[in-house]
Amino acid sequence: MQTSDSLVQLLVEFFDLPADTRPEEIAQPAIPKWDSLAMVQLITELQGRFGVEFDLEEIQTLRSYREIHDTLVRKGVFARA
Amino acid sequence: MSLVDWIAGFPELQRTAIVDAAETASLAKVRRALRLLDEMPKEKRGRALSVELLSTFNLEPFLPVLQLALNCIPSRADLRLAPLNDLEGYITQNTGADQSDVRVIIWRIEEVLPEMLYPFSNGFPVQLSRRTEEVINRVQRLVKLHEANAAVTPLFVSTIALPVHFSNPLFASQHAIALCGAVAHINRTIYDIATQRSGVYVFDICRWAALEGKLHADALLDFVARQPLSGRGQLAFAFFLARCLRPLLMPARKVLAVDLDDTLWGGVVGEDGLENLKLGHDFPGNVHLRIQRELVELRKRGILLVLLSKNNEADARQPFDCLPDMLLKWEDFALRKVNWRPKHENLREAAQELGLGLDSFVFVDDSDYEREQMRQLIPEVLILNTSSDPLHTLNCLWTTDAFDSLTITEEDRRRHDDYRVRTARDVQAHGNDLEDFLRSLQMEVTIEELGPANMERAVAMIGKTNQFNLTTRRHSRAQVQAMLAAPGSIGLALRLRDRFGDQGIVAILLATPGAQDCTLVVDSFLVSCRALGRGVEDALWTALMERASQAGVRKVLAQYLATPKNAIVAKLYDRFGLQPIEQGPSSTRYILEPVERRPRPAWIHIKKKDNANQ
Repeated sequence: MQTSDSLVQLLVEFFDLPADTRPEEIAQPAIPKWDSLAMVQLITELQGRFGVEFDLEEIQTLRSYREIHDTLVRKGVFARA
Repeated sequence: MSLVDWIAGFPELQRTAIVDAAETASLAKVRRALRLLDEMPKEKRGRALSVELLSTFNLEPFLPVLQLALNCIPSRADLRLAPLNDLEGYITQNTGADQSDVRVIIWRIEEVLPEMLYPFSNGFPVQLSRRTEEVINRVQRLVKLHEANAAVTPLFVSTIALPVHFSNPLFASQHAIALCGAVAHINRTIYDIATQRSGVYVFDICRWAALEGKLHADALLDFVARQPLSGRGQLAFAFFLARCLRPLLMPARKVLAVDLDDTLWGGVVGEDGLENLKLGHDFPGNVHLRIQRELVELRKRGILLVLLSKNNEADARQPFDCLPDMLLKWEDFALRKVNWRPKHENLREAAQELGLGLDSFVFVDDSDYEREQMRQLIPEVLILNTSSDPLHTLNCLWTTDAFDSLTITEEDRRRHDDYRVRTARDVQAHGNDLEDFLRSLQMEVTIEELGPANMERAVAMIGKTNQFNLTTRRHSRAQVQAMLAAPGSIGLALRLRDRFGDQGIVAILLATPGAQDCTLVVDSFLVSCRALGRGVEDALWTALMERASQAGVRKVLAQYLATPKNAIVAKLYDRFGLQPIEQGPSSTRYILEPVERRPRPAWIHIKKKDNANQ
């Protein structure tokens, strides 16, 4: 089972955020780089990194650390808290 | 392909980051590798390469991945992405001075002929057949449009891959007008165009997709962003593109040095005896037989074979004479070094005898010790295999990019015979007076203007000649054509025949008008290593002087730029009577004023160009 720390690390690297960024700070409105192109790239990155495929509904709920985390929990990537 | 070999010249930090990015297919890691590459000094990153990408699907989401792959060639790639699915518009608008080094058209059935995915909704078969013809016409028109607007830029046209996502797949193969037949028909047109036109090449996505196919498709991403590839797919696609473009920058290796025992056959001839060697149509002898087949093919397409074996020559020769299944002949090797000396010494000697650089060599050996010794003592040599397993070695021969080239010329295919003749000549020359020997060759040269007929060979020589090369400027075809287009430029190619046959074009000279009136600047002057020491450079220089004085040139400027390989020509211009005017550590500038005609070498006959051959 993966830990959710690896998701924080992925998002920090992906958006080039400061290393001490807190998970709840990672959300689309707060990150200007997080545009529609980045969204496509992020979906690719998450699918590759966690070996999952998202469905149409899911990709509309990947707009913050929390949303992505919850989606990955539902897909069995992370353990439920 | 071997990424590790491509980037062997990069520092370890960058190499590790690139391999990490390639293994994980993570965009964050790709970006990190790109940042580290930007920190490297420019001269270590390879040559500049501007690439235009024209695509019917969206490449923007993986532009960094494409950038990284092309940087690994290695090159300083500058990617220019045309607006999505605007092929004709982009080609029409992008003419003029700022042309790129290469243009790539990438298309797929979903945009080019979407009706094909739903044949019965789209007038199968009559209407659909007409639509396929229209697409074929479009392909032909596009290539002509490119040639009319940017003729000097090499064009790569992608084939069409069979789509991954479509219904009724069984029927798609059962009718010539249906999907599979239509795609084959369109692709056949693309292969035909590349065959007929120099400067047009195929980016064979169809072959790539047949290998990588379904695993690399992502239907979701295609719907979201018209980008049909998964992360892994993007990476594989990008490196496939890099491999296709790589021959524009990197000359192919020229020699394969191979070991005998446990490579060409199973077993050790000197110990196991002839009758116990494994070679033939049964396993595992069939693997060794297939290795031999690969080697014969390499030789016939112009890669020289050199035999490096620790054996008694009589033992080594025995299987060639006595084993019925041997495909390779003793004479297939341009050189044979069968003795008990270290292989690196034999390889160095072979390089010298063939007049080729050590970086022209690829080495295959089943012994870990031999490979490691070669790696440490001659790092320029590419080691092809990494284990002793013959199937692994065969796999390396199938997948290697060391011998990649986009065209294989008549000259290439004759190379083995040329070198064998050369060795024979060297033997004859031994002990003879050199000039007598040169006379006995009955050399006859033809001076040709550089033009479409010889451009391919000229650009190939400019790209790979190392030793007899005064400036080692690796001009692209576009650059050469631009130079020739300037009024007053002189571009010459020298074709050599001797009593052994037609040696093809062996020397190139390129000169452009200088800043002052009546001045000519020699930009490039090179002679193929096959023709060294025979005086063809004197003949070509004489021809330049004749043309220059006819054109009223009063002053010729020239330059020698030192490289690790071209010391052989350091004093050439002094010998030709030019005056050094500026001497630096790695460059000497010369002047010749007034222009003097020089006598041509007495042993070379200059033949007037036969108009019928023009």
